[in-house]
Amino acid sequence: MQSAMGVLGRIGQALRLAPRGKAPVPFVVLFKKFKSILERNNRILTLMADMGDKLGGEYVFDRRYIEAACEEMADQIFKLVSDLSILNRCRNVPLFTAFETVRQEIADELAGRHHFPDTAPTLPLSALRADMAEAAGGKFAMLGELKNVLQLPVPDGFVITTGAFAAFMAKNGLPELIARQTERLDADEEGALAEASATVRQRILAASLPKSLSRGLAEALAALAGRLGRPPRSLAVRSSAWNEDGETSFAGQYESVIGVPPSQAAEAFKRVVAGAYTPEAWLYRRRRGFREHEAVMAVGCQVMIDSVVSGGLYTYAPLTRKEEGIFVSAAWGLCAPIMSGELDTDSYLIGRRAPFASLSREIAHKPQALALRPEGGTAYTDLPPQKADAPCLAEADLSLLGEAAVSLEKYFKRPQDVEWTIDAAGRLYILQSRPMVFHGDPARRTGAIDAATEKAEVLFSGRGDVVQRGVAMGTAYVVRGDADLDDFPFGAILIAHHTSPRFSRIMPRAQGILTDIGSPAGHMAAVAREFRLPTVVGCGLATRLLETGDEITVDATQNVVYRGLVKELRYFELTEEAVYEDSYEYRLLRRLLKKITPLNLVDPHAPGFTPASCRTYHDITRYIHEQAVAELVAFSENRRGILDASARKLRTALPLNLSIIDLDGDGSAQGGEIAPEALPSLPLRELLAGLTGSGMWDTDPVPVDMGSFMASLTRTLGMGGPGEEKLGRNLAVVSNEYMNLNLHLGYHFILIDAYAGEVVNDNSLYFRFLGGVTDFDRRSRRARCIGKILERADFRVEIHGDLVVGRIKKVDLPAMRAKLRLLGGLVGFTRQLDVRLGREDDAHCFATEFLTAIAAVTEDAHDPARNP
Amino acid sequence: MTQPETPEPRKRRLLILDDEPIVVKRLKPAFQKAGYDVEAFTDSQEALAAFENNPADIVITDLKMEGLDGIAFLDRVKAVSPDVGVIVITGFATLETAKESFHKGAFDFVAKPFKLADILDVVGRLEARQGTRRHAF
Repeated sequence: MQSAMGVLGRIGQALRLAPRGKAPVPFVVLFKKFKSILERNNRILTLMADMGDKLGGEYVFDRRYIEAACEEMADQIFKLVSDLSILNRCRNVPLFTAFETVRQEIADELAGRHHFPDTAPTLPLSALRADMAEAAGGKFAMLGELKNVLQLPVPDGFVITTGAFAAFMAKNGLPELIARQTERLDADEEGALAEASATVRQRILAASLPKSLSRGLAEALAALAGRLGRPPRSLAVRSSAWNEDGETSFAGQYESVIGVPPSQAAEAFKRVVAGAYTPEAWLYRRRRGFREHEAVMAVGCQVMIDSVVSGGLYTYAPLTRKEEGIFVSAAWGLCAPIMSGELDTDSYLIGRRAPFASLSREIAHKPQALALRPEGGTAYTDLPPQKADAPCLAEADLSLLGEAAVSLEKYFKRPQDVEWTIDAAGRLYILQSRPMVFHGDPARRTGAIDAATEKAEVLFSGRGDVVQRGVAMGTAYVVRGDADLDDFPFGAILIAHHTSPRFSRIMPRAQGILTDIGSPAGHMAAVAREFRLPTVVGCGLATRLLETGDEITVDATQNVVYRGLVKELRYFELTEEAVYEDSYEYRLLRRLLKKITPLNLVDPHAPGFTPASCRTYHDITRYIHEQAVAELVAFSENRRGILDASARKLRTALPLNLSIIDLDGDGSAQGGEIAPEALPSLPLRELLAGLTGSGMWDTDPVPVDMGSFMASLTRTLGMGGPGEEKLGRNLAVVSNEYMNLNLHLGYHFILIDAYAGEVVNDNSLYFRFLGGVTDFDRRSRRARCIGKILERADFRVEIHGDLVVGRIKKVDLPAMRAKLRLLGGLVGFTRQLDVRLGREDDAHCFATEFLTAIAAVTEDAHDPARNP
Repeated sequence: MTQPETPEPRKRRLLILDDEPIVVKRLKPAFQKAGYDVEAFTDSQEALAAFENNPADIVITDLKMEGLDGIAFLDRVKAVSPDVGVIVITGFATLETAKESFHKGAFDFVAKPFKLADILDVVGRLEARQGTRRHAF
C-alpha cells in the first residue's frame, strides 16, 4: 500500500525534474512521455472493460482476480498521473490527490470497510439519482431517478443518508453489538436467532440520534413544509437499504411505517433501522450470502398521498407463447394493505402498447379501504356496497398506468414490480419500482427463439465488438450531430457513425447503441456498460443500412441485428436466471467499479473539467488524455526545447518552407533536404499527398471583388515567388506515426497534430485554423465554411470567431489516412477562401465544392471494405 | 468414411473443488445444465473424503487452498483412481505451477478468470479423450 508520504515523495521527485530557471525537458523526452500516456490510457481502458466484462455473466472469477485487477489499475493510474506530471511540469498535484482518494476508497471497500459518501445527513428526493445508492440506499436512489430523470410523479420527500445511519450506529456502539451477535449466529443460527434479534432491536429502539442527524432531520422537515406550503400531515417512513430493489429485491423484508406525524419522524427512523434485524430480514441476508457489514440502511421520508385507489403492477406478464401484457391489481384507499395482501383486489390485464386497452378484468368485492385520518395516522373505513363492487380503475387510469409501466421497464431493462397510487384529483404517483423476480422457463422458449430468429431478416451479424450483452428492441434513431441528441426519442436505439462519450447524456433514454466505428475499450463503451445498455461498436455499416424510424432488434449477445421486433429474444433474456449476481464477490466488484468506471468528466470545455472534479479512475484517465494532447500542442506552438533535434527541409515545389524534426531519426541525417516520398512519417506523407494530389494549392490569382488586397497576396504566395522568405519557418515534429505541424501561411496559422497507427484507440487528429488578412466578417465566414467541411467529414468542430478547431479520435488507420489527405487539401483550399467568400451564403457551396473535389484523393486511402 | 462408434451417453460424475464459494456457485449449475452429475466442495479434506468414498470421472480443482492444496489433492485422487481426469484452475497461474500440474498428470490447466464456455469445452475434450481411451482398450 502506498502511504500518503510515499505519494508526496514521488511528487517531489517529479518536481525536481523541472527546477526553475533550468533548461526545459527535451522535446524527445516529452514526446516519449506522451506516447507512454497513450499506451497507458489504452491499457487502463482495456482493464476497465475487462473488469466490466466480468459482470456480464460469461466469466467465472474469484476474489483474487478482483484484488489483482484493482492493484494493476491503481498502478497504471499512478504512472499515468506521473507521466503527465513530467509533461506538464508538475501542475497536476490535485490529480495525485484525486487518485489517492479513489485508491483509498477501493482499499477500504476491499477490506470490508465501506466508504460512506460524504453528504449532508439528509438529501431531498430532488437531489437523488440512480447512481446514488451508496448514499441514499437502493430504493430512494431509484425513486430519485424516476422523479428527476424519467420525470415520473413521485411523492415529495427526503432520505436520511447511509452516512447519517453509520453515525447513528457508531454513536450507540451498535456495530460492536451486532458483530458479537453475528458470532453467536455463526455458531448456532437457529438457537440464537430470536434472542440476537431482540437484543439488537431493543438497543436500536432505545438509541439516541447524533446531534447532526437531529438537526438535519428538523431542517429537512422544515424544507419539505416549505415546498408544500404547509407542514405535511403525515409521512411514510421507509427502508432504503443498500442492495434493496437492486439485483436482490428484499421485497417485504424491511419495515415501512406509514401515517407518521412529522413530530415522530425520529422514532419512525429507529423503527425502520431496527427492522433490518427482525429474524426474517436477518436470516434473508445471511441465506443470500450478505456479510453483516453490508447491512446498511438509509431511511426515506415521503409525504403520504391521500389515495383514492392504489395497487401494484407487473410490467411484463407473459400470457401465452405469443401474447404478453401488463398485469395491474388495484383496490380502494392506501397502498400498504394491498401490498401485504390484506385486501382483495381487482385484476386487470392490459396490452403492452399504446393505448394500453384492457384485455381482461376481474372485479373483486372490496368492502373496506385504509385511509388517512384527519388528525394523523391511518384507519380502515367501510365502503358503500355499490363502491365495494365497482371497478376501481377506468380505461383512462389503465392507460396512464400502461405508459408508466412501459417507461419503467424500458429504462430498467427488466420487468418491474411497481407500487402506485392515485389521488382524488386523478394524479398518478409511483411509490416504488423494483426488478421483478421472474419465474419463467427459458429452456421452454428455446425452440421458439430458433424459429423466430430463422424467420427474421438478418440485417448484419458478427460485425464489430459487443460492448454490453443484452437485447435491444425498438426504433432506430440515427445521430449525426450534437443537435440530434436533443431530440432523441425515449426508448430508441442509437445509431451513430462513431462512438462518443457525449452519448452518455441520452443513454438513460436509449434501448441500445450501434456504431460504425469505435472501440470496446473506449470511454463511451465504459459508460454504456455502466448503463447496462446493449451496445455493439465498430459494425462498419450501421448508419448506411439503418434509417431513423426502422424497427430493429439488436441481439448484443449473439451479435446479430434483425429487421423488425423479435419478441421471443426479449422473453428469453427476461427469464434468464442470474444467481451469480447474488454472490458477495459480484456485489463487491460492482461496488468497486462504481469507483472506477463512471465518467463524470464528459465535456472537456465544461468548467468542471478539472483534476479536482475527478471522482473515478475513468475521470482521471479521461482528463489526462485530453490534457496530454493539449500540453503537446501548446508545447510545440511555443517551440520550446526543440533545439536538441536536428531539422531537415522538405523538398517541394510548393512554397511551404517546411522544416522537419524526426523524433525517430538517429541524428545521423545532417540537415539538407528531404523529398516528400522519403518522409518516415505516415501522417505527414498523407497530408502532403492530399495537398499536392488535390491541386488545391491554387496558384492562379482568384477572381476577387474590388477593394480586397487578396489578389496580390495570392500572387505573392505563388510558386517560388519573392514572398517566400516572408513565410518564416514552418515546422513539423514527426515520428513514424506522429506529426505535429505548424504552418504560417501568409496571414493565417494552421496547426495539425496527428497520431495515426494500427491501434485505433490511440489515433487522434487535431486541426486548428486561425487568422487571415481580410476583414473579420470574411474570416468568420471562412471559419464557418471550414467548420462545415470538417463537420461533414465527422470531425467534432468548434468555431470561435475566426478560430476553427476540429478533432477526431479513435478512427481506424484507413480513415485516418483519408482524413489527413482531406486536411492536406484543406490547407491548400483555405488560403484564399476568405476572399472568395464574398457573400454570406457562399459558405455552403464552397464546402460542397471542396468535398466533391477532395473525394477522389481521399477515396483510395479508405478501407476498401467500407467503399466497395 | 465411417464415423467412430459413440459410447452410450451416461451421466458423467464431476467433482468441483474451490475454496471460493463464488467459483463453485458458478460452475455447479453450469455443469448440471450440461448434463453432469456434480458434487461441489469448498474444503479439500471433505472433497477428498467424498472422492475416496466414491471416485468421480472428472475433477476440477483449485490450486491454492488452505490445508491440502490443489497439487496434493491431485496426487491423492490420482492415487485412488489413476484414470480420473483432472483439470486445475487457478488465479495464480505461473509456468512452474502449470508444469508441476502437468507433471502430476493434470489434463489441463486453466487460469482464472475464465469463461464458462471455455471450461465446458476443456471438460468436453477431456471426456473425448477418456472416451477414446476406453474404446482403445
